Amino acid sequence: MPTEAPPHVNRTRAGEAATFLEAISEALWEEMERDERVFLMGEDIGAYGGAFKVTRGFLDRFGPSRVIDTPISEGGFTGAAAGAAHMGLRPVVEMQFMDFVSPAYDVLTNYIATSLYRGAGPIPLVVRGPVGGGNRGGPFHSQNVEMAFFHTPGLKIVYPSNPRDAKGLLKSSIRDDDPVIFEEHKGLYRAPHCREVLPPDDYVIPLGRARTALEGEHLTIVTYGLMVHRSLDAAAELARDGIRVEIIDLRTLLPLDEEAVAVSLRKTGKLLIVHEDTRTGGIAGEIAIRMNERAFEWLDGPILRVTAIDSPVPFSGELEDYFLPSVQDVVTAARYLVEY
Amino acid sequence: MGTPPGDAVNGAEIPGLGRRVTGLVISGPAGSPRGRSVTPLGGRVAEDLLYLGFQGRFLEASVRNLAGSGLLDTGLSDFGIDVRTTVIARAMRCGQDGRGDLCHPGLRSPGPALAFGATPLEVLRHLARKGTTPASARTGGWSWTDVRRGVMGWGGARGGMMTQVLAGAALAFKQRGEDRAALVFETRATLQAGGWHEGMNLAGAVRAPLIVVVEDGLPSDSSEETDVEAVAASYGVAFERVAEDAHERVFRMVASARRRAVSGEGPTVIVLVPLAEEDSWALHDDFAARVVARGDVTQSVLDDIESAAATAVDHASGRLNKEPGPSARDALAPVLTDAVPVVPWTRRDPPSPAPPPSTQRAVDAD
Repeated sequence: MPTEAPPHVNRTRAGEAATFLEAISEALWEEMERDERVFLMGEDIGAYGGAFKVTRGFLDRFGPSRVIDTPISEGGFTGAAAGAAHMGLRPVVEMQFMDFVSPAYDVLTNYIATSLYRGAGPIPLVVRGPVGGGNRGGPFHSQNVEMAFFHTPGLKIVYPSNPRDAKGLLKSSIRDDDPVIFEEHKGLYRAPHCREVLPPDDYVIPLGRARTALEGEHLTIVTYGLMVHRSLDAAAELARDGIRVEIIDLRTLLPLDEEAVAVSLRKTGKLLIVHEDTRTGGIAGEIAIRMNERAFEWLDGPILRVTAIDSPVPFSGELEDYFLPSVQDVVTAARYLVEY
Repeated sequence: MGTPPGDAVNGAEIPGLGRRVTGLVISGPAGSPRGRSVTPLGGRVAEDLLYLGFQGRFLEASVRNLAGSGLLDTGLSDFGIDVRTTVIARAMRCGQDGRGDLCHPGLRSPGPALAFGATPLEVLRHLARKGTTPASARTGGWSWTDVRRGVMGWGGARGGMMTQVLAGAALAFKQRGEDRAALVFETRATLQAGGWHEGMNLAGAVRAPLIVVVEDGLPSDSSEETDVEAVAASYGVAFERVAEDAHERVFRMVASARRRAVSGEGPTVIVLVPLAEEDSWALHDDFAARVVARGDVTQSVLDDIESAAATAVDHASGRLNKEPGPSARDALAPVLTDAVPVVPWTRRDPPSPAPPPSTQRAVDAD
């Protein structure tokens, strides 16, 4: 059994820059080395190394009892992970694509999310996997699932935007005593502009805390995941006209760091929410009402949102590009708000 | 054969419990024909089974009476316990320290919960949605759970979900090489649910130390007949059947299934063939008659066991009304491990009219 970590989980130790995907792999590897209670379940994660190769080499290092190839039964193995968590283990469940989490919706919302409240104790598990569009995957391999779970008390939802956050937040999620839905945007997995040298220490990033991705004064953009990068691109274009945008990267959607949003809104007086998820029932609505409750008097304009269109994710590339929020959409909305 | 329950009733009316069975009269040398050839169990096991059986029987009567008097939901007026579920559960290795076996008692009967250490008062508290159960009445349903004692939800989760969960717990036992197994009671109707098959498929594939009891003949079983044995075979797992069997046979069969499970041979599916209520309790009377006839337990000890069980249920029934209901604090208990409960500002004490906007922020910020 090899003892040396394969290159894709060893970038940081080698002093090299890591991709978003490699940051995920590093987090999993290091947590499994740190805590023998941590184990992985999922489809094709062992011998095949996972659909995106996040867990390539893990089976050789940790063996089949900790890297479990499951039948194609998301509900079944998520339920089993809950049972293992009851018994003190720390399962990390991979969905090949997060679109496939829907069969596990029952056990996640009815059993896992309610466990602590019902007196059955906490269920510390992570359900992680790739989300998001732009890869021409069509409606079954491109969805964002956060709002399917956002309305369920008892769950946490994490959605990082960069390798550093991905690694630190995944470690925090694994160590957290609550069940965590961890979304990884496929468009970030191997994105060259996302590569970065990660801190060499065993760092974690606390759940429930947003970060300021860009400081500004004329407008607050609240966003997460891939849309942080779209918003940064928009901010760069707006800056050429002297518009300085502040960007809040939520990082954790549940619990929502509404204080960070409120602080920024009190500073800029304008709020634009950007998410890749579809419009109706998206997180923008929740953030808007919370700011209405908390910071109404500081608002100098309507709260606006830029989102995907209320439609299944199209398979055609042309249609998908139209469906997804673009940099230009963000620029247009921002200009409207700044001039309001 | 043991005296039919109706003939044996000679006790006084007890609040909540109704007429109590006392002074069971043992007739005949060796109990019923179906019990003659069984191998006796150890004295401690026999006494436990006697106690649990009496306790379940009295609890059944108590729940019905309390439902009839409006102290419990009227839907519980036909509440029934099949004593064989209690025997099955007692054949597992029950513990109080989080190191024993696990049991999901299933929809119908608290018997397995009693076998795993639940008290009658805890069962009644739960049925009454009182505030002091392990689940603190927050769900108010059938989710009585105490992981340390191994009671994993009484009911409430549907579609075979608990087979999935218990399969995962059993997988954890196997990973750690522990001498532990998991027991789950499901209904035959559940075998129509995909979730059950997902859990069973996984358990069979990883040879998880799991025993699944399929209770037949329950109200939700009006769907088409399922060949449970064929289903078990399809997952490559062992199959057993419990019908009008003596306690001793049921106990040994389950104990054997448990041994197979923890030794790595994988799950067993047991189908529990439905019995009329009186036949279920007749099995208990037969058992009592046998152990007394064999001299394993004296008539005096049997009387003491029955009396102790009646006292426990009587105490629980009498106490139920004095138990507090859940408090608002309980209702607002965090659903996350690190979250602070938030009281709606409109319900804070002292109540106040809606604050003007300038103070609204201060209220929300605290």
